[in-house]
Amino acid sequence: MEVTTLSQQTPRDFARLGRGSLEGIIASSFKPKTSDLFDQDFRSLNDKLILNTNNEDGVIDPITLHSLNDETPVFGVDTSNIELGETKDGTLCAVRGTIVWRENGSYQYVRHGPFIFHISEANKQALYNTLRQIHFNEDEAVGAPIVEKMSDRIRGILERWLQRQICESCEDSLLLFDGSLTTRTVNGPISVLGELLSAARSRNNAVLAISKETSLSVAGHRMADLIDNKYAPCLLDIDRIALSQYGSHLHFFGRIYAAKLISSCFTFRLDVDRKIPKEEGIRAVERLLGNDLIAENYPETLRLAHVLSRFSASEVLAMQRFVAENYNLKVICRPNIRQVLFGPYGGFSAMRQEGADGYDADLQD
Amino acid sequence: MMQIYKIDGSDVEIISCPPEDVRKGDYLIIEDVSTDKGLIIQVVNTGYANVPGILEDILRESSASGIEGKDFDVLNMRPFVDMIKDAKVFSCKIRRALVKGELSYDISWTPFRSSSRVGRLADEELLKIAAIDQTPSIHIGTSKGGAATAINLSSIDGKLNIITGKKGSGKSHLSKLLVLNLVAHGGPCVVFDINGEYTSLGYTEDDVKTSINDAIINIYPGVNFKITLQYAGLGVLLNIASSVLDLPATSAWEVRRIWNTLQENKNLSLKSFGEAVDRISNNYVRDAVLRRFESLVSTGLFTDNNSEAVTLEDYLTKVKNGGALIINLKGLPSSFRQVIVEFMLSKLCSMLDQWFMRAVFLFAEEAHLYLKETYWEDIVTRMRHLGIFTTFITNQPDSINESIYRQADNIFLFNFTNENDLATVSKATMVDVETINTIAKELPPQYCLALGRAVNDFPLIIKVRSLQIKTLGQTRLFFSNLSIQDKNERSQSRRESHSPDSLVPSKNLPSIQDGNRNKIKDRQLRI
Repeated sequence: MEVTTLSQQTPRDFARLGRGSLEGIIASSFKPKTSDLFDQDFRSLNDKLILNTNNEDGVIDPITLHSLNDETPVFGVDTSNIELGETKDGTLCAVRGTIVWRENGSYQYVRHGPFIFHISEANKQALYNTLRQIHFNEDEAVGAPIVEKMSDRIRGILERWLQRQICESCEDSLLLFDGSLTTRTVNGPISVLGELLSAARSRNNAVLAISKETSLSVAGHRMADLIDNKYAPCLLDIDRIALSQYGSHLHFFGRIYAAKLISSCFTFRLDVDRKIPKEEGIRAVERLLGNDLIAENYPETLRLAHVLSRFSASEVLAMQRFVAENYNLKVICRPNIRQVLFGPYGGFSAMRQEGADGYDADLQD
Repeated sequence: MMQIYKIDGSDVEIISCPPEDVRKGDYLIIEDVSTDKGLIIQVVNTGYANVPGILEDILRESSASGIEGKDFDVLNMRPFVDMIKDAKVFSCKIRRALVKGELSYDISWTPFRSSSRVGRLADEELLKIAAIDQTPSIHIGTSKGGAATAINLSSIDGKLNIITGKKGSGKSHLSKLLVLNLVAHGGPCVVFDINGEYTSLGYTEDDVKTSINDAIINIYPGVNFKITLQYAGLGVLLNIASSVLDLPATSAWEVRRIWNTLQENKNLSLKSFGEAVDRISNNYVRDAVLRRFESLVSTGLFTDNNSEAVTLEDYLTKVKNGGALIINLKGLPSSFRQVIVEFMLSKLCSMLDQWFMRAVFLFAEEAHLYLKETYWEDIVTRMRHLGIFTTFITNQPDSINESIYRQADNIFLFNFTNENDLATVSKATMVDVETINTIAKELPPQYCLALGRAVNDFPLIIKVRSLQIKTLGQTRLFFSNLSIQDKNERSQSRRESHSPDSLVPSKNLPSIQDGNRNKIKDRQLRI
């Protein structure tokens, strides 16, 4: 895969729709948000999976892995979104996504964005459905989420678009997604993820999804405590337990494992495309071990995709300046009501708690 | 665009984004439109603004370095990110306020952030506001921004100046420039030339006499400058004997007695003085006086031959209305240097006391090599009131007493890299430590930071202009370029047609005899 192949595609209409949304705020007031960079990582909480099992004596045998270096290309996708500030009508947000791949020992990337959107009650419906229509071929209009959740949804659409790029372009490769291969069974285009996986399989690719934030626990024990370092590299098949507890309202496109790819204190949830045979899936993980660098139990390809997508504080400042200058926004500093009322007791941590919703509320597709 | 970030006392921090090319030493002005006041501030340090996330950016870039890739930056955000990353913060010091166009020392007020504009103050504008170059003035060079910079003559007239900086930074060059310009304006100058580098001030680089050649008079003590005991006087002699040659008080009393006796008999000469010393009955006193007497005689400064004896008045008459006496101390033993300087200063004081002339500008290079510590205070207090206006030139700032720095009216500070040297200067000068430490450390050669009245208390970086004169103060090199050597040899051969005879300006003054010329050459060979 050459960089030129992937770089010929750009996410259609993201720039156009973003610019269009910004046209409506020319010469209005703008309150830049003090960048809270951790906001970008909240979505990982979506993959939180708390598994309970009564199988007290049910010892899950680890599946031992053997590194397999066969020059298989490894592709990783990650995206980020961040809120830039408030206008009198809504919020400004930015999204960005990156594809990183390792081939013949060297890494390459293609990065898209940032794309800046102004989201208000007035435009969120049109914006959301237009993006879904263009990128998911979903003609049926659905209700857009609340304004505060819109940037996360737009990021999700960008991420699916990037995933589609690699699923439909790559062959005989390992495709790494950030997060899980799980969707809600209601109110979501289940078919999108299914189509992506199908496209990937048709080109002899294997899709693996790795969840950075590990809140995986079984019977009250953290998964990291359940797998001893001496078994690494290994997988723990927890698919049956997950299905039994969440199968009724979640659609698991992936077979769920707890993965300890190297000896470290971390254990991640790893989803492997369910429709490829189990042995082949395990073999894909072994090829990942042999064809990518693994640090702190995490593939370097995905780490780089994350690093390149994430917004830094200076980039946030630059984007705030960009919109203020190009759209003639009048920057204002409204007092923070929470801080005024509660002082140190109404600070950031409380606000963050409000923003971090549970699993069900946040699933996007 | 520049904005006020912080004001704390006289410290101001200015944020510049997009970053402007403002450098240390530059002046900015904060204009508060709402109050019609302004603050003139000087940048003493520059750095990057502490923009959040920079560390993450750098780490990310290093993490992704070496990765080939393509960015679809459809909004062309990169220039904005670079602008934020390159945002600068200028640490400044408030120098003066500007109220309705007039300078004011009242800087107790704080401009409003919201209604203030920060802009650059062009050097020309600063010089105009500060009225630094009011005539008559000495053009000493250009500001960093290239504006012609002159200092008012009155700012060095009657003042104490210090020129300091490390070796090769351009101190002597500035000193020569001041001497030549004072001479050109009719000022009488006396230079204690420790390295013999002022002796060619009257010649161009091509060894052609300058228009003020006749006003530059080189004095070679003991060669073309000899005096009689009578002219020296008892007071000067006793001063020299006690302070330079450490003559005990009892022996000094004996010297006085001998002197008075010889004076009464109208028989005061070196010969008769020596004979009288031989007749002292007390062996200890005789030996003590004799040793000092022989030391004085060995300097060659004193003579009984009236035809070769001169007076300082003879020379000073020549420079009274503009000229420089270059007292060449090069190669002289330390004690001889001290005798000469002691004599010159005593005589100068006496002459000024009697209003022989209004004043004299004294340039003392590395004065610690020939001036006793007790003299420093005397120079800056008593002698100053008599009309000796001193400029000290040194590359060892700690050789000058701290009290001298405190009384200095002007300091021309050249580059110093040594922290101790900077600390010495900074703790006793009229500006803050930060200004000295940050600006002086990075001055290129020939640039100086001028402090004090000469620049109306606006510390100013000045590039000292070049002089079209022959320079002799350069360091001698072993591995010199052959072509340069050839040039010097050619130059030397031309020089011999002028020197040293041509340096003696007056037919009234004794010319250097062949024997004396050889002495000069011998002395130069000893160096």
